[in-house]
Amino acid sequence: MVNAFWYFVMVPMVYISVIWCLVGIVVRIAQVVREPRPPHTLRIFRDDETPEDPLGAGLGAAFLDALTMPSIRRYQPVFWVFLMIFHVSLLVLVVAHLDILPQINILSAESQHMLGNGSVGVFFTVSLAYFLLRRFKGPVREVSVASDYLLLVLLLSIAITGDVISWGNSWTEQGFVITKQEFGQYMTGLLTLSFADPLKLLPGTHYVVIGTHVLLVNLLLIFLPFSNLMHTCFSVPLNALRRG
Amino acid sequence: MEASKRQDLLTLMADKMNRAVRLYLENCSRCGTCIDACHAYASTRDIRFSAVGRAQNVRRLFENYFRVTGKIAPWLNDAETLDEAWMDKLYETAFSCTGCRRCMVYCPFGIDTQQIQAIAKALLIGMDMDPKPLTMRARGEIDKAKNLELTRQKLEKELTGVKAELLEKYPSLEGKEIVPLDKEGANILFVSMVEKPSIASGAAILNAAGESWSLSYFEAVNFGAFAGNANMSEQIYGRIVAEAERLRVKELVICECGTAYRIMKHIIGKRSFRVISILELVNRYLTEGRIKLDKSSIEGTVTYHDPCQIARNSGVYEAPRNVIRAFTDSFVEMIPNRSENWCCGGGGGLVIAQEPEFRMMTSRVKADQIRAAGADILATACEMCLAQLKDLNDEFELETDVKLVSDLVYEALVFS
Repeated sequence: MVNAFWYFVMVPMVYISVIWCLVGIVVRIAQVVREPRPPHTLRIFRDDETPEDPLGAGLGAAFLDALTMPSIRRYQPVFWVFLMIFHVSLLVLVVAHLDILPQINILSAESQHMLGNGSVGVFFTVSLAYFLLRRFKGPVREVSVASDYLLLVLLLSIAITGDVISWGNSWTEQGFVITKQEFGQYMTGLLTLSFADPLKLLPGTHYVVIGTHVLLVNLLLIFLPFSNLMHTCFSVPLNALRRG
Repeated sequence: MEASKRQDLLTLMADKMNRAVRLYLENCSRCGTCIDACHAYASTRDIRFSAVGRAQNVRRLFENYFRVTGKIAPWLNDAETLDEAWMDKLYETAFSCTGCRRCMVYCPFGIDTQQIQAIAKALLIGMDMDPKPLTMRARGEIDKAKNLELTRQKLEKELTGVKAELLEKYPSLEGKEIVPLDKEGANILFVSMVEKPSIASGAAILNAAGESWSLSYFEAVNFGAFAGNANMSEQIYGRIVAEAERLRVKELVICECGTAYRIMKHIIGKRSFRVISILELVNRYLTEGRIKLDKSSIEGTVTYHDPCQIARNSGVYEAPRNVIRAFTDSFVEMIPNRSENWCCGGGGGLVIAQEPEFRMMTSRVKADQIRAAGADILATACEMCLAQLKDLNDEFELETDVKLVSDLVYEALVFS
């Protein structure tokens, strides 16, 4: 029964969550696109602009705004540092997870470690912990709602279980319990729709931690289209509106 | 609240939806970066008077009636029911905010609180809870276009005083058409506040430059926009657009009224005429050498308050500064300035819709900023700002002389 549960989490639920998430994102984008365009400009003019000579309009500048968050850098520099750590480490983690696949070899195929040797996950975790603590004090606490906390707790749980897999997995007397190559086999199985039982590929007590990590990621994918994580898709068009 | 009434209001809310509004309602992370941007929050430390605090009042309704999560798990994003009590919250959203959009400079996504505020205003109109002093004035503006002959008679009465003042100051204008009306093919249609001070300074400048111009019958200010009534706002600016098109003018020059300038510049769409502010025109005249200003006529240091609708919302930053530097060598910048300048606290019609106590309470930070500038003269380029800044000057004993830039130009104008 327990094995059946973990099998469901590790294989069918992954497919369900990914499809759910992708469809949800498409629906959310469609909801925005089908609305009429705003009737007039919503631009904010920067100090070096004039009504007749607007600078920096367009998607390129908006993309840069979304990526570097200049307003937060100016007005809340400490928050900005943690936001940059979070976003950069998230990007590296995505690449690191892709690197587990045997077809992608950013690190050599024989490497036991993931990209960053587990350090990226720590940066990711610390930044999330900061975001969560920040919501418990000052005026930010007054404007926060349940979903803000829930999302951060979910992300933090994913990060911590990821750290346990990265660090706990390698801190044994025998070295790595589960190797990068074994993770690669599991992910290849998912990609090739083999429906193979991951328990046979990922042996040992760490299987529960990996299962929990995957379960939490599945939950995140299910929740994502309804959450403000959708700003991933919308921050560029939002900044484009401000840029005019 | 009756179900049918609620449904009517929700239809109004749905009507306000467009791509931008939906993005603004759905994408706030409540990171709190905007909180410190609002003069009202900075002055009171009351979260209700922060951009996110106000927007949440609308966002919680949106969550309940327009999002799946609000129906499945209303606790997740604090979904709220639209009822009489919540309408009071919406009033707070609509009329504790000046629509200055300073929060938009701070927000990492650039969420426009003014657009969210517009939903609150639309619902208040639907419940007949809109501030009547604003709506009555808007109605008065629309009526002026309906009875043009009466409007003309009233305007000509006002012009008698203007002409007398200008003739006394500039005798060389004797025998000339000092304030032309209905001049077809003129270069410029000047839209004033249809009050003596606003007409006099504008007319003096235009005459000094030897401009071919005509005075609009209508005042620039748009009370329909302040009330959040899109239909009334359109009728009000429509009068001026129709007049400009009828006279086939090349340029529409807006007096120092922030909202009017933004509406005419950015909201009415492409027209046969160009829209500029009176200070952009003065700056042009100075550059071309068509008018001269006497620096000895203005005494003391001068600072400048960037009106939100003209500056960060329209991009007129340098023209007023160039004009000020043309009549004084003692110009000092207020800190912060330009796109980061603090709002005066009276915009968005709050000078009329809100009690002075509220406006003073929420503008302490502005008073501190003015005091820190330490200037003898505080110049601005918006009538609403002028009224609010004068109130602040009295309330906080700032001991500065609050004036419009065009009035200072009028004082320093060398009429040849």
